[in-house]
Amino acid sequence: MVDKIKVDNLSCYYNRKCVLESLNINVIQNEILSIIGPSNSGKTTFLRALNRMNDLDLTYSRRGEVYLDGGSIFDISMEDLRRRIGMLFAMPTPLPMTIYENIVYAPKRLGLISKKSEQDALVERALKDASLWDEVKDRLKSSAMKMSGGQQQRLCIARILAINPEVILFDEPCSGLDPISTVKVEESMIGLKQKYTIVLVTNNVKQASRVSDRTVFFFMGKIVEIGTTDKLFVSPKEKQTEDYITGRFG
Amino acid sequence: MIKLNPKLSQKFSYLILFLATALAIMPIMAIIFIIVKNGISVVNWEFLTSMPKNGMREGGIFPAIVGTFAIVMSTIMLTLPTGVCAAIYLNEYARDNMLTRAIKLGIVNLAGIPSVVYGLFGFGIFVMFLKLGVSIIAGALTLSIMELPVIITTSRNALNSVPYSFREASWSLGVSRWQTIRHIVLPNALPGIMTGAVLSIARISGETAPILFTAVAFYVPHLPHSMFDQVMTLPYHLYIISTQIPNMPNSIIFGTALVLLVMILTMSFIAIFVRIYFRKHRKW
Repeated sequence: MVDKIKVDNLSCYYNRKCVLESLNINVIQNEILSIIGPSNSGKTTFLRALNRMNDLDLTYSRRGEVYLDGGSIFDISMEDLRRRIGMLFAMPTPLPMTIYENIVYAPKRLGLISKKSEQDALVERALKDASLWDEVKDRLKSSAMKMSGGQQQRLCIARILAINPEVILFDEPCSGLDPISTVKVEESMIGLKQKYTIVLVTNNVKQASRVSDRTVFFFMGKIVEIGTTDKLFVSPKEKQTEDYITGRFG
Repeated sequence: MIKLNPKLSQKFSYLILFLATALAIMPIMAIIFIIVKNGISVVNWEFLTSMPKNGMREGGIFPAIVGTFAIVMSTIMLTLPTGVCAAIYLNEYARDNMLTRAIKLGIVNLAGIPSVVYGLFGFGIFVMFLKLGVSIIAGALTLSIMELPVIITTSRNALNSVPYSFREASWSLGVSRWQTIRHIVLPNALPGIMTGAVLSIARISGETAPILFTAVAFYVPHLPHSMFDQVMTLPYHLYIISTQIPNMPNSIIFGTALVLLVMILTMSFIAIFVRIYFRKHRKW
């Protein structure tokens, strides 16, 4: 049980208004950690603090530390950090190019691959790992914008896998998807656990119980409860947690 | 107040809106009609490619076409790279603070300065102070200063129209900000930037005041040899032959106007086609 990410007393502010207060949390290597909670409880802010996506917002400030493999994430460049911590957004965000180009885009920019044969191999491997290969192998040269929402989201997963990160952040990845696409994304998430550490923000409590090893319940910018998914869902310690997961509020 | 029934008021307002539109279009149609009617007879290959003769009362307008072309191309070559770079800085990098807001406000206001003021400014700085003389380069620099705000504004709009989510997606993959601009933002903003550039070219082609003191001459018996030569240009040539030369045949005046008009309209149509083409082929 190695800590992949350790969050130490992290507070986040927008326009000096506190949205996350003194968080202490650890993410264990090769686990899926789910973050649940009502909207406006700071789930996404927390996720975007981990790969420093928040830092681009000028009204954002923070206190506290986040460690990746023991080193502060603020000591390495944002580019290197995001190479190691990939992120999947709530809305599918394919880039306006072909399926093939979407996958080789970042590896090319980062100088990970150069030869055409390497590119082909990388595209095939990434699409297979995201269980999308069979659906798109005959139309790699067509625009990614023409795919269905579920396929676009899996393409975005494949795109992340192509840069071979250590951690993947999922920000409500299934919020815009139909049930069948959701199952496919969840399946690929569970498969990815072998190689990657995953943090999943979800509004779907059942999804958290289906895929995650541990679950955190956020409320109003604070951690209410954290524990293994089995325990948290069967016998929550806090009343608020119980109310939320049984659907009494939120 | 007379109360109209809904059907009647609908017809009435339609009529007013239609008339307003017709009123706006009619003068343009009239101008084009009169210029074409009076000028088409002199416009031929000879007219376009020969030097003026007999105190400009005969012959062609070749040097004016060449001069306009030289000034416009030099201007756009100076403006486009500078303007696009400034737009990228303002849109992608600059923090939203007092200084940036002041710069943005300045750019908007620069577009409102009368063009003759630019002309005098260019005369003072480029012709006198930098001793460039009355020349293509001095005229092009003056026009550049005038056109920069327009290029910056259209380029910024084009950059802004590229969805923010594309940038975020690229950043989240560890791609740097510059690479994101270079490979995602710029290619997708290019149609908008090009449209703005072509429209700018059309606008510069017709400008007279900024080059009045900085680049043009009443009559130059030869074509320009270098960037430091004076030139003739179409709008200024048109002004001279309509006001300064007695017994000037009308057909040549209208013919010159026609050539200028066709040049500018062609540019505008190119801009429209560029826009239509890229809108059809846009990938998002």
